[in-house]
Amino acid sequence: MRVNIQMLISHGRVARKMGLGPESRINMLRNILTGLVRHERIETTRGRADEVRFYAEKLIDYAKKGDTDEKAMKMANFWLTEKDLIPKLFKVLAPRFETQPKAYTRMARIPNRENLDRAAMAVLEYKGNPFPPLQTAKRDNELTLINQLLKGYREQRAQQAAAKRQDVL
Amino acid sequence: MLLLCGSGTAVVVPRLASSAASVRLSAAEVRGRRSAVFSREQARQRSLYPRTEKIEVTLQIPGLQGTLLVMNKGLSTPHSCARHLTEWYVTSSALALVDGKPWSLHQPLTQSCSLSLLTFKDTDPLLVNQAYWRSCAALLGQVLQDAFKEDFSVELLSLPEVLVTSGAFCCDVVLDPQLDAWNPSEESLRSLTRGAQQLIHRDLPWEPLEVAPPVALEVFSHSRCKQKEVEEKSAQSPKGTVILYRCGDHVLLSGGPLVARTGLCSQYEVTAIHPLGEGKWGLHRRAQGLSLPLQQQAHHTVWRKLRSRAEKLVEVPTGSTNEAISDTLTLPSAPEQTPPHTPQQ
Repeated sequence: MRVNIQMLISHGRVARKMGLGPESRINMLRNILTGLVRHERIETTRGRADEVRFYAEKLIDYAKKGDTDEKAMKMANFWLTEKDLIPKLFKVLAPRFETQPKAYTRMARIPNRENLDRAAMAVLEYKGNPFPPLQTAKRDNELTLINQLLKGYREQRAQQAAAKRQDVL
Repeated sequence: MLLLCGSGTAVVVPRLASSAASVRLSAAEVRGRRSAVFSREQARQRSLYPRTEKIEVTLQIPGLQGTLLVMNKGLSTPHSCARHLTEWYVTSSALALVDGKPWSLHQPLTQSCSLSLLTFKDTDPLLVNQAYWRSCAALLGQVLQDAFKEDFSVELLSLPEVLVTSGAFCCDVVLDPQLDAWNPSEESLRSLTRGAQQLIHRDLPWEPLEVAPPVALEVFSHSRCKQKEVEEKSAQSPKGTVILYRCGDHVLLSGGPLVARTGLCSQYEVTAIHPLGEGKWGLHRRAQGLSLPLQQQAHHTVWRKLRSRAEKLVEVPTGSTNEAISDTLTLPSAPEQTPPHTPQQ
């Protein structure tokens, strides 16, 4: 085929290369995923955290099928290198996310690593972990003037809706 | 009798044998007189301290706890204390707390005390919010007095104490009987808003003055309902005095401390004037408005929603709930429990 400069530039290629090859990439992700299941919050480079997210959520989807399921147990057995985490996955993590359909993980970017490589780092965690929250949502004080006005507005709307429902009934 | 009007021109008013109320003075002249009495009383109160005595003011501001300022007795205000700090304190402080009591920013300090400056973004801005609501209502009253032509009289009734959550501040007013059939159109509301915006742009301070009831009665000598209000307020206050506020050349009464300057408001709109029915002084009307301060501006979508709510009539609760408002506004007991560490005589 015609080897041209376009082949060297990754126009629109979404698949990441990690490690020494595809098999090495899967092994690396397996290790990171095992660490995530064990500690529920880990710190890695941004690219790796982003790649692991997909596999972490898929693993939870498999775990939700239950440990009696053949395929689920095979997947858990493959992906978790430390076998004492397989019961934790099925008995702790799967029930935690029963009500949620997706989005079991959260990724937050942190400052670059202090080493010479200055790698861009990220923290990846399963939601509902026992640690203090990573980023608290910055909310303005409830008692400020504008929030008090909005509170009154919301209450009035609720009252009007309730009155309408009463009329309909 | 020679009087000096607010504009500085001398006006000759013949003194008749009958009472002053029968002499029909124009609104501008009445304002000028009130302002003159106010200035006279202010000068008299300042002359009570001929020698500058020093007082010690301890600051209770986060980051500047325990800073001691040496200020002048009877002359320095919390505003001047803020000017000794940085410009941010001057522009952002709306109200001051002197020894735990709400204190207007331009009211002189009379003894050594602890001072804290309150802004709109504190953890507990209840006092500031209520003071701001009162100030906006006072501004609305001032705008209404200025707005009408000289032929029509405007009588400001009390500024009712309304909670912030009710959605709008109110000013009860009685217009000339000739205007009983008049209902404000959108254009007139917009022109009132423009008048208010002009006052805000001029950034006038609200100067407080604590006076004895006779002086207050002299200030409002041309308005019977204002005199009644003065009597009511002096009966309610523990010391028997009444606090007057002057903004520009308007003197008004208020139920509590007002914020420092008109420039603190940024978004201000007069939303509606509702007729309340025949009352003691004529057809009572309630003018309502909505405003937000400079530090808490709203996006135009949010503003539109709040404004549509402010157009509806706000029911002012009668006496019993006024106590509820003052109960919710009492300061937490913590500052009173901790003894002040300043060296006091």
